Amino acid sequence: MNRTKQSARGQYLLDRGASLPLILPATLLVLVFLVGPFGYMTYTAMTDLSYANPDQNGAFIGLDNFRHLVRNDSIFWNSFWLTIRFVVVSVTVEFLLGFFLAWLIWRFIERQRLLTTLLLVPMMLAPVAVGLIWRLLLQGDFGMVTYYLHKIGLLSRASAVFSSPDLVMPAIIAIDVWQWTPFVTLIVLAGLMSLPKSPFEAATMDGAGPWRQFIDIMLPLLRPIIALVLLLRGIDAFKEFDKVFIMTGGGPGTVSELLSIYAYRVNFKNWNLGYGAAVAFMVYLVVLILCSIFYKAVYWKPSARQARAR
Amino acid sequence: MSKPYKILAVGILACVLVVALTPYLWILLASFKGRLDILSPVPRWFFTPTLDNYPAVFIGKDYLPLVFNSLIISTASTVLSICVGAPAAYVFARTDFPGKEDLFFFFLTTRMAPPISIAVPLFMFFTVLGLTDTIYSVVIAHTSFNLSLVVWMMRGFFAEIPKEIDEAAMMDGRSKLGAFVRVIVPMAAPGLAATSVLCFILSWNEFLYAFILVAFEGRPLTVGIPGLITPHGTLWGQVAAVAVVATLPILVFTFLVQKHLVRGLTFGAVKG
Repeated sequence: MNRTKQSARGQYLLDRGASLPLILPATLLVLVFLVGPFGYMTYTAMTDLSYANPDQNGAFIGLDNFRHLVRNDSIFWNSFWLTIRFVVVSVTVEFLLGFFLAWLIWRFIERQRLLTTLLLVPMMLAPVAVGLIWRLLLQGDFGMVTYYLHKIGLLSRASAVFSSPDLVMPAIIAIDVWQWTPFVTLIVLAGLMSLPKSPFEAATMDGAGPWRQFIDIMLPLLRPIIALVLLLRGIDAFKEFDKVFIMTGGGPGTVSELLSIYAYRVNFKNWNLGYGAAVAFMVYLVVLILCSIFYKAVYWKPSARQARAR
Repeated sequence: MSKPYKILAVGILACVLVVALTPYLWILLASFKGRLDILSPVPRWFFTPTLDNYPAVFIGKDYLPLVFNSLIISTASTVLSICVGAPAAYVFARTDFPGKEDLFFFFLTTRMAPPISIAVPLFMFFTVLGLTDTIYSVVIAHTSFNLSLVVWMMRGFFAEIPKEIDEAAMMDGRSKLGAFVRVIVPMAAPGLAATSVLCFILSWNEFLYAFILVAFEGRPLTVGIPGLITPHGTLWGQVAAVAVVATLPILVFTFLVQKHLVRGLTFGAVKG
């Protein structure tokens, strides 16, 4: 993809007059329906609006909500660190496992088409349906997975995984790993397939073993892809809502209450919209930071551009 | 490579496939099971299949309209995002203007925005407009996040079309719009198709926006799912039937666009 200045000849389908009407509708739509609401949310976050309390009718209170959130809201901070732990653990496991599987497929399997197609299944299912499937599988008294986990001695009989405070987060992480490891595999595999052959041949001639080749050649070449996968998965995991909402609703208690679910509860269960907007704002802020790292890491480095121009 | 290693690798991958697919297979089986077969403490892999669950939930519990709602929402938001997003993507692929990359990044941030942050104010916004609990609100919400995916994916597909084609199209003496619609769009057709299918899938699978914006009228299938789960006496056969209908069409679609899937899922960064 060539982003350098194009010749005037190349542009004449799109002079200044023609570009504007083409790009304006998209920009306007996003402005009205995403930036508009976002601005309104930012304003709401600075009010005491609550549908549950008639006295709190949206008076402007400045940064009070944020002050309270950061200083006094221990539930928010629990939820925040829970989300961070969830993201770090599940994305790490997904990455290592997914990378290993991609390497196995790349190294040993010639006809990959059918295999990768079947691997896609978990990640293309609607997250709500995934939640549903695992709720059935992990039922205490008749869940199929519960039964076999009990058989091999990993679970005591009839323990309902989702109502046990000790088991619920490990289960949620395992299910996220089940759903999203194929994503890592698929993308890393695409990266491996596009690796140039010559550096490896040269290294073999120089007598470098497979491990050295992996560390010194493969990993550096795959760096843009690795950054991409980690960030995309990180952003997505941070926003996790659907599966957990269906499986546990944040419970038992608040043991599995990730940030999105906490934000949902404040807004739509307690109807505390001013404070809820402040929570939602914080979620957005973290995602925005991750997102700009993503953009810089993947799209602005020359190495990344080479990967795209492939 | 030595033979034993290869056998080991195939063995590992076979196990992975079993783990990846069995849960889905199980819900597929459950949708054809009677109540007793589902509630059996020992998993039953072989049973007398029944077709009762599907009519019971889709006709009996009136879930059929939800399938149509899902279809309408996904189709409408896909068409809208393509019509609005593809021309913008073309501009991004072909011209330079100040702030172009910033605007492009801006589109990315809208795609990445956590639904919970946008859905709350969107809900208030649609309440003012009187559009909550209508299909329109969901269509608009889905369009606004799919739009940026279209812009990101189609920019890459348009950039792959040689610029000389643009020139040749103009030589024909057609209008600019005519040249775009009749020459560029057909050349980008495979990319457009892949992007459309991906938009459709994302909209079909989406839950949180729809859940917040429509409680009853116009709710899609995903929003109907939580209502089937009750603390006691959930009818799992019917739940499974809904889950199958909510997922099977998407799996078929996925296999159709598999070639471009990696690209779509990475916002065009990796060409699979």
